[in-house]
Amino acid sequence: MSTIMIKRLICAAVFSGTIATNVNAEELRFTVWTGSKAHLDMLNDIANGFKQTHPDVTVRYDTIPFGDYVQKLTLQMAGGNPPDLGWLLENSAPAFVEAGALADVSKTLHATENYNYADFSTSAMGLWTKDDSVYGIPFSTSPFLVYYNKSLYDAAGLETPDQRATDGTWTWEQLKKDAATLRNADAGVWGYETVDGQGYSARVWHNLIPIIRAYGGNAWTDGTCHLDSPEAVKAIKLFHNMIYVDGSAVPPGEQGDFFSGKSALTVTQISRVSKLADANFDWGIAPLPAGPAGNAATVGQAAVVAFAQGKNKEIAAEFLAYMTSAKNVAKMAEFFPPARKSVLEGDAFLSSNPAITPAQMKIVAQGIENGSVLPSHEHFPQIEAKARPEFDALWSKDADIQATMTKLCQGIQPLL
Amino acid sequence: MTYRTQQKITRICWIIGLCALAIPFVFPFIWMLSGALKGQADVFSSASLIPSKIHWSNFSEIFAYQPFARQYFNSLYIAVLVTGLTLFLASMAGYALARLRFSGSALVLLLLISALMMPEEVTIIPNFFLMKKLGFMNTHMPLILLPLFGSQGVMATFLMRQFFLALPKELEEAGRMDGLSRFGVYFKVALPLSRPALSAVGIITFLFSWNLFLEPLVFVNDIELFTLPLALANFTDTYGLPLWHLQLAATALAVIPMLIVYILAQRQIVESFALSGVKG
Amino acid sequence: MSAAIKGPSLTLKAREAISGWLFVSPILTGFMIFFVGPLIAVFYYSTTEWNLLSQQSHFVGIENYVDALTRNDTFWDVLVNSLVFAAGLVPLNMLLALGLALALSRSVRGAVFFRTVFFAPVITSAVAWAIIWTFLLQHESGAVNRALSVIGINGPNWLHEPHWAMASVIFTRVLKTVGLNMILYIAALQSIPRDYTEAARLEGANGWEIFRRITWPLLAPTTLVIMVITVVGSLKVFDHIYLMTGGGPQNATLVLAFYIYEQGFKFFNTGYASALAVILFVLILALTILQTILKAARK
Repeated sequence: MSTIMIKRLICAAVFSGTIATNVNAEELRFTVWTGSKAHLDMLNDIANGFKQTHPDVTVRYDTIPFGDYVQKLTLQMAGGNPPDLGWLLENSAPAFVEAGALADVSKTLHATENYNYADFSTSAMGLWTKDDSVYGIPFSTSPFLVYYNKSLYDAAGLETPDQRATDGTWTWEQLKKDAATLRNADAGVWGYETVDGQGYSARVWHNLIPIIRAYGGNAWTDGTCHLDSPEAVKAIKLFHNMIYVDGSAVPPGEQGDFFSGKSALTVTQISRVSKLADANFDWGIAPLPAGPAGNAATVGQAAVVAFAQGKNKEIAAEFLAYMTSAKNVAKMAEFFPPARKSVLEGDAFLSSNPAITPAQMKIVAQGIENGSVLPSHEHFPQIEAKARPEFDALWSKDADIQATMTKLCQGIQPLL
Repeated sequence: MTYRTQQKITRICWIIGLCALAIPFVFPFIWMLSGALKGQADVFSSASLIPSKIHWSNFSEIFAYQPFARQYFNSLYIAVLVTGLTLFLASMAGYALARLRFSGSALVLLLLISALMMPEEVTIIPNFFLMKKLGFMNTHMPLILLPLFGSQGVMATFLMRQFFLALPKELEEAGRMDGLSRFGVYFKVALPLSRPALSAVGIITFLFSWNLFLEPLVFVNDIELFTLPLALANFTDTYGLPLWHLQLAATALAVIPMLIVYILAQRQIVESFALSGVKG
Repeated sequence: MSAAIKGPSLTLKAREAISGWLFVSPILTGFMIFFVGPLIAVFYYSTTEWNLLSQQSHFVGIENYVDALTRNDTFWDVLVNSLVFAAGLVPLNMLLALGLALALSRSVRGAVFFRTVFFAPVITSAVAWAIIWTFLLQHESGAVNRALSVIGINGPNWLHEPHWAMASVIFTRVLKTVGLNMILYIAALQSIPRDYTEAARLEGANGWEIFRRITWPLLAPTTLVIMVITVVGSLKVFDHIYLMTGGGPQNATLVLAFYIYEQGFKFFNTGYASALAVILFVLILALTILQTILKAARK
């Protein structure tokens, strides 16, 4: 190869790298944290529908891994390369709203025919509105659920969690007992896997808050930390015992993927059903167990937002309205439980996902109805950073849970 | 026991010791290959190094999961470009600092030396805003410019200067006699003589660029613009769980060609370090 | 006769100066723009409070330094971690490198093979190396603990217990980088004339005496360079931490370079992160100066 050719190749390569970002005026960039083909197919389907009214608009979905999502998103915004739209989790909402990073889409929503904004309950919109402004529309109000490996339950002759839920005997103590029974070290099967296996890192809040709430505790209310309350400590102790006394919960640094049959139980959301398409075992879904404080359904919320710095704000807002219209919310309900009352209450919702029986979908609907959203805060990133090393300190056999949580609360109190 | 047998025993002991020591250097590669051929659930559940079923499909799945070929090419062309540019600019500057007398040269040298050891973490934040201003965000330009003009480029300049200092002047003077310009002497006489130094510096620079992680992490968003290190760290499923089998297969694809090149050229590589005087 | 000799000497000097500046200008210009400029800027940034998300900044003077040095316990933990990391990595790395170089400096067949083996991680991408070791160091299903259990040792949860996590990161980093230092030592050893050691041997010196009195002093310049490279390399470690521990558990492996990244690009405390960057700068500048002094003292 001649040097000239090499030079040309290099120039072409650098050049193509340089211009790849010069977004076409009609392209909307939409950041999501899913890489699942089933999810992306559905999202692209919605984008294609939008083309009927906006023939020159294409939507490009950009997948950012969940663990880095907020960080990467902020970097893109600070770097002058903001996406037009994106998903946002409940815990980031206050920080983004306060920083003025989100576009107010209320005008577009009200101008959209048949949008029926009132279909979203005030409680569902709580995090996403400020006065008359609307900064996002929840597309997923997803309760945490228990997934269990029915094959393992049947083989052990145990009563399944959903049966117990109907009987009213489905408690965290029971889950702990089941997990210990079903743990089979020789076969490499664990009793319980934390949310997506990330219950000690990215999803430590998702892991602990449902238990803490079932025991009558909470993260914080009105600027006071409650994570060191006796209720919270008792709840954490239960989980701690599962790891270090029973040896049934997958410990930090260990793998026990529920979806490949390596754990008997896990807690996660309905969208993960897509991971069970090829499962070689029977599985079932049950509501979160109850605790001393009764049932405490916990809901994770995610919204579609348009970014204030976006280059095509008008069209972005229109696409946001289109994506969250009744028709498309019903479509997304297959994976993302809707916040629209009309969709949630309709019969179509119960059979929206062929992999999930109507009875199972009812559990989801109940969870949404009774659930409270995960904690969020304007300073959530800082709170998370402060809390992380303290949470780490919980994960050893002899950890003093009360002392650790007291220290954690002292650390984050000034931020609340 | 004769002296001979004693020596033989010592030798065998040495070899056994070295073999034991080599385990943590070699085993990771073997484990990587084994994991790359396993199914996702198998990577951890079975301790055996031989996969129960060989999953060649891992290697094709990588390319379906992300534009891995494009990312591979990105890493390759950036590393080649950075190495080429660094060698050219650094040897020229190094030559001037070693051979040409000009006022201010001592100052330039001091300036460069003080930056010799500065890691990129020190200047990464201002560079973030600089790149934004220059419109280089989410492009490969920062990955080319920062190594070239940061501590790596300075290091290369310094090493080249050290090499030229040790090079006999006579040949260059002959070149001057033949009517070559300063640039001509550098390009036609000094540069060809500095092949060992160029290859040693070239190897270090190539590896530096090839391994670059912080800069791509901060400056690049689009998956098509990712470089290999970023791509390897990006094999996670929908919810952020690593896809171990794909990650290992991709890691194997990233590592093996480099290993082959290295094994083929290992004698020359070691020699070039020995001859270049990259030792102070 | 060439023009150079015919011309007056002043022009010759001026010409040399012009070529000199022309030769250094490309790299110098880039260096000014992408290194010196940002370096000055980072000093300025460090006096502001600046949130990357809302993009607002205001001047706070030395507040960020006061924050780091007096109010923030994490900073001192981080500094201690960085020093522990360096103190663990540097001696281990250098001793191993020297040992391997002494064993493998002669070009016999086996030596070439082992050199290849020990150098292989150097050319392997650090990300790949860290990823593989993260797998090998898993608690129960990791290969390391499986091997240990064969000989009856119940291995710790390497990357999730504070002290072991630090040890693991140091160990894997040594494996990754020791090969380059070994090669540098081998190159230095090969440049020691055979006659020196032969003469000493004839005078009846044993192996240890030869090493102490001849080899080691002759290696001193190389040792100094390797030490500086390794110390600085240990202070800028980023990818290993990012991939293996993320700075955890309990901040046990949170080192300065990673802390800068986290504060700057994860929590978006641009001002505070800049102050940390300045501290790292001062630390490394001090080391560079110390090296220069040591070098001068030896002469």
